[in-house]
Amino acid sequence: MATAVTTTTAAKPRKQSRISSSRGDRIFDICNSIFLILLMVITLYPFVNTAAVSFNQASDTIRGGIYLWPRMFTWDNYAYVFKEAGVFHATLISVLRSVIGTVVTVFCSAMVAYTISRQDFVLRKFVTIAFILTMYFNGGLIPNFLLIRELGLLGTFSVYIIPGIIGVFNLIIIRSFIDGLPESILESARIDGAGDFTTFMKIVLPLCVPVLATVALFTAVYQWNSWFDVFLYNSSFQELSTLQYELQKILQNSNASMSARTAGDAFANAGNDAANAVTPMSVRATMTIVASLPIIMVYPFLQKYFVKGMMVGGVKG
Amino acid sequence: MKKWLLLSFISAMLVTACSNGNGNSEAPANGGNSSDSPEASADAPKEKVTFTYFNAAAGAKDINTNETTIGKMLEDQTGVNFKIEHLVGDINTKIGTMIASNEYPDVLIPDAAIDKVLDAGAFIPLNDLIEEYGPNIKKVYGPYFEQMKAEDGSIYFIPFSNVVGEYIPDPSIMQGAFWVQRRVLEEAGYPKITKLDDYFKLIEDYMGKHKDEDLTGFMSLTHDWRFFATSNPPMHLEGYPNDGGVIIDMNTFEAKTYAAADSTKRWLKKLNEINAKGMFDKASFVDNYDQYLAKMTSGKVLGYFDYGWQTGNATNALADAAKADPSKDGFRYFPLPVTFDGQKDQYLDPPGFVKNRGIGITVSAKDPVRIIQYFDNLLKEENQVLRSWGIKGETFEVNGEGRMYRTKEQVAKIDESFNESFGFKYYSWNWPQWGNNSTFPDGNAVQPGMQPEVFQMNLTDADKAILDKYGVKTYSELFAAPDERPWFPAWAIPKEQGSPQQIFTTKSDEITKKYFPRLVLSSPAEFEAVWAEYAGEMGKLDTEAYEKWTTEEVKKLIDLAKGS
Amino acid sequence: MENAQPTTAAKALSGKPAGFFAKLARQRALVLMSVPFIIWLFIFKYLPLWGWTIAFQKFKPAKGFFDQQWVGFEHFAFLFQDERFLRVLRNTLAMSAINLVLGFVTAIVLALLLNEVRQVYFKRVVQTVSYLPHFISWVVAASIVQSTLSPDGIINELLSWLGWVDKGNEILFLGVGEYFWGIFGASSVWKDVGWNTIVYLAAMTMIDPSQYEAAKMDGANRLERIWYVTLPGIKPVVIVLLIMQIGHLLEAGFEPQYLLGNGMNVDYSEVIDIFVLKYGIAQGNFSLSVAAGMFKTVVSFILLFAANHLAKRMGESRLF
Repeated sequence: MATAVTTTTAAKPRKQSRISSSRGDRIFDICNSIFLILLMVITLYPFVNTAAVSFNQASDTIRGGIYLWPRMFTWDNYAYVFKEAGVFHATLISVLRSVIGTVVTVFCSAMVAYTISRQDFVLRKFVTIAFILTMYFNGGLIPNFLLIRELGLLGTFSVYIIPGIIGVFNLIIIRSFIDGLPESILESARIDGAGDFTTFMKIVLPLCVPVLATVALFTAVYQWNSWFDVFLYNSSFQELSTLQYELQKILQNSNASMSARTAGDAFANAGNDAANAVTPMSVRATMTIVASLPIIMVYPFLQKYFVKGMMVGGVKG
Repeated sequence: MKKWLLLSFISAMLVTACSNGNGNSEAPANGGNSSDSPEASADAPKEKVTFTYFNAAAGAKDINTNETTIGKMLEDQTGVNFKIEHLVGDINTKIGTMIASNEYPDVLIPDAAIDKVLDAGAFIPLNDLIEEYGPNIKKVYGPYFEQMKAEDGSIYFIPFSNVVGEYIPDPSIMQGAFWVQRRVLEEAGYPKITKLDDYFKLIEDYMGKHKDEDLTGFMSLTHDWRFFATSNPPMHLEGYPNDGGVIIDMNTFEAKTYAAADSTKRWLKKLNEINAKGMFDKASFVDNYDQYLAKMTSGKVLGYFDYGWQTGNATNALADAAKADPSKDGFRYFPLPVTFDGQKDQYLDPPGFVKNRGIGITVSAKDPVRIIQYFDNLLKEENQVLRSWGIKGETFEVNGEGRMYRTKEQVAKIDESFNESFGFKYYSWNWPQWGNNSTFPDGNAVQPGMQPEVFQMNLTDADKAILDKYGVKTYSELFAAPDERPWFPAWAIPKEQGSPQQIFTTKSDEITKKYFPRLVLSSPAEFEAVWAEYAGEMGKLDTEAYEKWTTEEVKKLIDLAKGS
Repeated sequence: MENAQPTTAAKALSGKPAGFFAKLARQRALVLMSVPFIIWLFIFKYLPLWGWTIAFQKFKPAKGFFDQQWVGFEHFAFLFQDERFLRVLRNTLAMSAINLVLGFVTAIVLALLLNEVRQVYFKRVVQTVSYLPHFISWVVAASIVQSTLSPDGIINELLSWLGWVDKGNEILFLGVGEYFWGIFGASSVWKDVGWNTIVYLAAMTMIDPSQYEAAKMDGANRLERIWYVTLPGIKPVVIVLLIMQIGHLLEAGFEPQYLLGNGMNVDYSEVIDIFVLKYGIAQGNFSLSVAAGMFKTVVSFILLFAANHLAKRMGESRLF
């Protein structure tokens, strides 16, 4: 699969012709740019604000009024998060589940999507509806838990992967794309005598790279951010803990240590330097930065697969 | 090509195959049978064993107790180690899955989900175990046994808030009070304030003199579940301690809700009045907790009502700022025992016994005897010294008169990470213990924070000066001593899940949250009309049944206390 | 784009069984590619549906299936008979509809605008930045919204600078129930508009560039090209997403309403999920939440089939 993807990306993106940029065009461009810059300002703000809080001394942050940059710069909040030895191992697990989960989900979803895009497939309607309906119901927490337990998935890495092998939303998106592919290409493959699976691997997958990149992004982000399954199924298995779950623990911990400092016995210790103390607010901000930076990095990398028109053009040419 | 097909098939097959294979293999047999011979009480070194301990009550790093100094010493004594896991997500979800699969950790602190755990029969009865292996448990908890028994006469879990020896009050104010900035008191010449009207007059005068400073007179915390900081004051203003949503008459022991009573009306009318004068922070009703603390720390807010344990983040920050720069001491807050008409206040919690929280041994426990022995051992006096004061010469000292204290260096040494590695953090609560307000036979407080010497040492000069103005040594001396209330706290009376009582509380909360803002922020002319509407809404609830139920429960508790 | 061939599969299904199995055998590759996942689907999604029985019980997790106390439709009755239920249903539908319309329109418009940007790097930067708020949890996002809208927040500062509000009379935006849906809609758009464009941008890559060339030849200007080439190009995806989303009309989210809600706006902010949390989960009543879930599923199915049927009637692409 991997090779199939890389061969197609070699195709260069087509440059839009710039010959006839009229005056109306230029006005449009300017307005568009101004609008997009404004949009960037308001969408960048929460992140900048969160970063500023994460670099500001916790006891000072309580006073409020932190907007774009820290008032009293410190690394303490990061030190607090990273002093937990478990964080590094958990990051590894997070990376593993994101990578494995994404590859498995994207491949399996694409495969099923291909079968239900085939108008002549006898089970098409049955398979499609069987999948779609599951988007709108849920057996509930306890039955799901008991199922996972009966399957022996508690305390395993597979519990991160197997229950999510196919995302129905992803499935439908991919199918829509395959539906949109020029019939002629698929036709020609069939004339060449390729089997269904070969057609899928050699023709459909490469053509679907933009949508697969989209779905991969959705899945990777979902996998990276999940912690509820860790909480539910693997909370007693430290070696399977993920970054998000460890961060949740640290957040909880900071909540508790603040209240401990306030309650009874901590009074005896009130003499020590409160500047080192963390607050849930600061830890939450730090967590947000720590957890989201790696996954945000994924996007610019995937962006090159979103280049317009390359596949269709490439195959046609 | 075939490989992929195979793989997907295999994965599907694996899933189905697993369902027959695994699953029950690790499920322990229903425990509770203490078949071990009682040789256990001997001092012979025992085989090391690790039990699982799940704490739904507090967050901390998951750890093995033998990785801490205290835990290691206890392991040396008993051979028992606990692998502690803390709750991270939603408590009902986690406990729900445990119950549904009937698999529990050996030891469980279910916190708010305790009734579900009891209902599921997850705890084993401890009576026989205590009888056989728990001489210290008997000694420490003996006076409470009657209160600890469930309806079937069994003791299923051990609560934490017992008192051993003489009751020692908390010198600082963790409970409710009307707070005011110290600079306000200073400018007014440290008057004695006991009436609500005087309290607001004090603030109003200060605001009048400092018109251009953009001050806020009074704010109130309303965010989410912390709304009680705004709805509880009428109870305190009437001279009652925090019994939650009810006031319990000291003569008849009848429980009365007060959310729609005259006391609440009077309180809200007052807030309405100060709002009309521009003294009240309107944003009180939309601010979240962080915004509330930020305002408190900003120094612009002159007064508020709250419980000390809720405002620690802000008051600590203010105290730190004042330590660095004594001129900022005026921004710190001072607690006042305010009531409606200057009647006797009851802000301080009376000695209470919280009966719906505790630690229990589950049906999954592999060896309940070893666990109960560990509990028993922990309750020995020397181990109670260890778990709260630490090691003599390292974390505390004893002076010539036998009083325990900590040096400045020791206090400085005991920071967050020391608390973790030494184990104070893990043994400060959530174990069978001598409760926080207990004293040792030699008169020392069990909790260092309750020891007057320790408290005095941490006071700044400014603290001492202002306490001196009011002629007291500790903050708690500003308040009246608590009367005896054997049912206290009434809010801890367990309500069955989904019972009419619980639905009543939820509905009543909903209505107060909706109407309080309108009552306070409307123009004074409209107040009566809005109040009538509010009272009408509250009138739809079956308050009488709720009060009757509470009264019955309170009376039961009084009888229990008498019986013991 | 057009789903011309009316379902041959349907014919096959209803037709002669012999033909069906013969076809099945011929398509064994397709069968092998999908059926294992149908098994997976059955185990992980359909099997846990036994849990719906909980809605008809006074469910206690500790008891076995046969020891539960059966209560019939009691939980449904609790739900529907409560006077507040209509209100939370209204709020749910309103916010969901706002989200649906606003979410689709803004994401599509932004995707179109981004698609028109010619400098590749500017485009990439805008895209990356615009999707950042998606990674901020609602807890953090809500506190930013709260401080922005507070009496001393930037919006009130701006209004007072413009002279529209007086000092001391700042607007308590979150204290006015009628503003809540707007605040909710705006915050949701702010948080997810960038993220939601991704799928449309991907859809635009499938448009054949020669169509643009052809439109240009015909003298179409920028807006006309957007209207006649780009939009029709992504229409199938938009419609399929729309149908899926319509099925989710009773899912208006939970966190933003919970975090931004307060006593003053509760009449407009409380949604079904919050109601169920208060009276179900918080009370240890699993049954109520299952009952609410079933109700939502029934409504979803009705909406889903209706929307799909409508799309079919209008000759658009559909979900199934």
